[in-house]
Amino acid sequence: MKSEILYPGAFPMVRVELAEGEHIKAESGAMVACSPTIDIESKMEGGFLGALSRKFLTGEKFFFQTLRASRGPGEALLAPTVPGEIVVLELDGVNEYMVQKDGFLAGADGITIDSQMQSMTRGLLGGEGFFILKMSGKGMLVLNSFGAIHKIELKPNQEYIVDNSHLVAWSTTTTYNIEKATSGWVASFTSGEGFVCRFRGPGIVYIQSRNPRGFGAWVRQFIPISE
Amino acid sequence: MWEQITVNESRKNHVMTDSHPNALCFGDELPAGGSPCLVHVEAQGITIAFTVGGKQQQAEAVPFSSVTVSAGGLDHDQLVLQWMGPTGQRTLYLKNPDVIRTFRQAAPDQLTMPLERVAGQVRHVRRRHRMVWSIVGGSLLALVLGLWFGSDLLVELAADRIPIEWEQKLGESAYRDFLAQHESVNDGPTVNAITEMTQRLARHAPNNPYTFEVTVVKSDVVNAFALPGGYIVVFTGLMKKATSAEEVAGVLAHELNHVLQRHGLERIVKQLGFVAVVSIVLGNSPGLGGVMKQLGVELMTLKFGRAQETEADLTGLQLLHRAKIDPNGMITFFERLAEKDGSRVEWLSTHPMSSARADRLKAQLAEIPKQDPEPFTFEWTKIQASLG
Repeated sequence: MKSEILYPGAFPMVRVELAEGEHIKAESGAMVACSPTIDIESKMEGGFLGALSRKFLTGEKFFFQTLRASRGPGEALLAPTVPGEIVVLELDGVNEYMVQKDGFLAGADGITIDSQMQSMTRGLLGGEGFFILKMSGKGMLVLNSFGAIHKIELKPNQEYIVDNSHLVAWSTTTTYNIEKATSGWVASFTSGEGFVCRFRGPGIVYIQSRNPRGFGAWVRQFIPISE
Repeated sequence: MWEQITVNESRKNHVMTDSHPNALCFGDELPAGGSPCLVHVEAQGITIAFTVGGKQQQAEAVPFSSVTVSAGGLDHDQLVLQWMGPTGQRTLYLKNPDVIRTFRQAAPDQLTMPLERVAGQVRHVRRRHRMVWSIVGGSLLALVLGLWFGSDLLVELAADRIPIEWEQKLGESAYRDFLAQHESVNDGPTVNAITEMTQRLARHAPNNPYTFEVTVVKSDVVNAFALPGGYIVVFTGLMKKATSAEEVAGVLAHELNHVLQRHGLERIVKQLGFVAVVSIVLGNSPGLGGVMKQLGVELMTLKFGRAQETEADLTGLQLLHRAKIDPNGMITFFERLAEKDGSRVEWLSTHPMSSARADRLKAQLAEIPKQDPEPFTFEWTKIQASLG
C-alpha cells in the first residue's frame, strides 16, 4: 500500500495505491475516484453495536467505506469534506493516537478504531464529547484537518497549551489537563479562548490552523434568516 | 492497562515473535513521537533494541539500579521507566501487559516499593474516574427524577413570575400566524353565539386577568384550541358535530381553563427548562445529546399533557356549573367524539378520550349540587343551519 498527497495545501487529495487483495477503510463519502478494479463496500466497523455506539457516542459516521482491490491492483483518490491539509502517519503497532471525530480520513486495514470514553473533565470541557476515537494497530493512518495541520513535538515533561477546538490528534504517551485560558473565569471567556488544553510530553500533538466552530459562527452571520 | 492480565491477542503475538517493537523510547536524539523498540526483561535489568530500517541494532542494556519508575500516558495506564543513558535522559513508555508483568516479577527489592506506589497511583486514578462517573451519573439520575416528579411545582413557580403581557404577546403572534393561513368567519349568528358562550364563561371565571378573543375558522376538521394569553380558535367542523350549544360550551370551558391555568406557558417553561438542563449536562453534541434531548422533551410534553388535560377537564366542569350551563353536554360530547365515524377529529389526538377520563368527569359531576341551567339567547339548530 503506497500513498501520495496530491495538491498539498488547502485542497489536497490523497492517492492510495492498492495491490491486489489489499483494502483500506475510509470515512464514508471520502472516495473521489478509483480504478475499476476497486470495489466499494460499506462496512459497519466493529459490528452493528460498535457502529451504533460510534454514531451516537462520538457523532462519527455510522458506516465506513471499504475500498478493496479485489480484481487486481488499482488506486483510489480520497478527499475530506472541508478545505484543509491531509497528513499520513505510519503506525507501527506501538504508538497510538487519539483522534477528534472529524480528523479521520482513512486507515489501512491493520488499523483498529475504537471509541474510548474520556474522563469527566476532559469530556465535559474538552469540546470533543465524552467519547473519542482511538487509533491503534499497524499501518497507514490518514488524517485531515480544517486549515493547515501543524505538528507539535513534545519532549518528556515539555508542556504546550492548545485551544481545544484546534486539536486534531495526539499520541497516547502525552497527557493533558483542561484549564481556563486565564486565571479569572470572566477573562477566560472574554479573551475568546474559554478552555485550553495543557499538553505534557513526550509525544506528538497535531493541531489545525483553523477552528471549525469559529468558522461556522462566522459564516452563520451572513446567512439570511428565512421566515 | 498494565495491571490487567487479559491481553489483546495481537499484542501477545508481539512478545512471542520477539521481533516486533513493544515499547516507545524517548530521548534527546530520538524522534519526538518516540522510537519504537524491543524491550527484553533480563535478570539484572532490561535490554532495549531499536530497529532502524528494518534491521535490529545492537541491544542496549540498562541495569535495574539506574531506573526510576512512574505511571504516565493519556489515561495514566502506562509504565514509564527513566534513566540516564550515555546520550542523556531516556524515557521508556511500556504498555504491553506481558512486558510490564515480567518487569514487575524480575524487578529487585529496591524497585518493589516504587512499583507498588505506581500501581497504587493507577488504581487511585481509576477509582477516582469511576467515582466521578458514578457521582455524575447518580446526580444526573436524581436530576431527571427530580425534574419528572418535582417539576410541576417548579414550573408553576417560574410561570407565575412571567407577566400576563408577555404571555399575550407570545400567544398573539402564534394566533395571527394561524389566522393568516386559514379562512375565518367574521360575523353572523355563529360568531355571536360563540361570543355569547365565551363571555358568559369568562364572566364566571374567578380572578380572570385575560380578555378572551375567539375566532371561528371555516374548516371541516373537528378541532378547537387555546393559545397562551386568551386566544381561542373553534373550527366549524366541531360546531357541526355538536347537537347542542352546551356541548360546544363544554369544549370552550375546557379550552378556557387551559388559558386560565396557564398551561401553554407552563409547557413552554418546562420545555425550555428541560432543554437548558440537558444542554448544560450533555453539551451541544450532535450525537447522543441530540437524541436524548429530543426524546426527553417529547416524553416531558406527553406526561405534562395528561395532567393538564385532567386539570382543564375538572376546572372546566366547575366553570360550566358556575356559569349555569348544563355540564352533561361536555361529557356526552367528549364521548360521542371518541366514537369513530371517519371524520377528522383532530381534537382527540391532543385530547385522547378514555373511559377513565369520562368516569372522572362523571364522578366530579355527581359531587356538584344539581341546579337549573339557564338557556342561551340563541337556538342551536338555527346556528347549525347557518353553517351550511
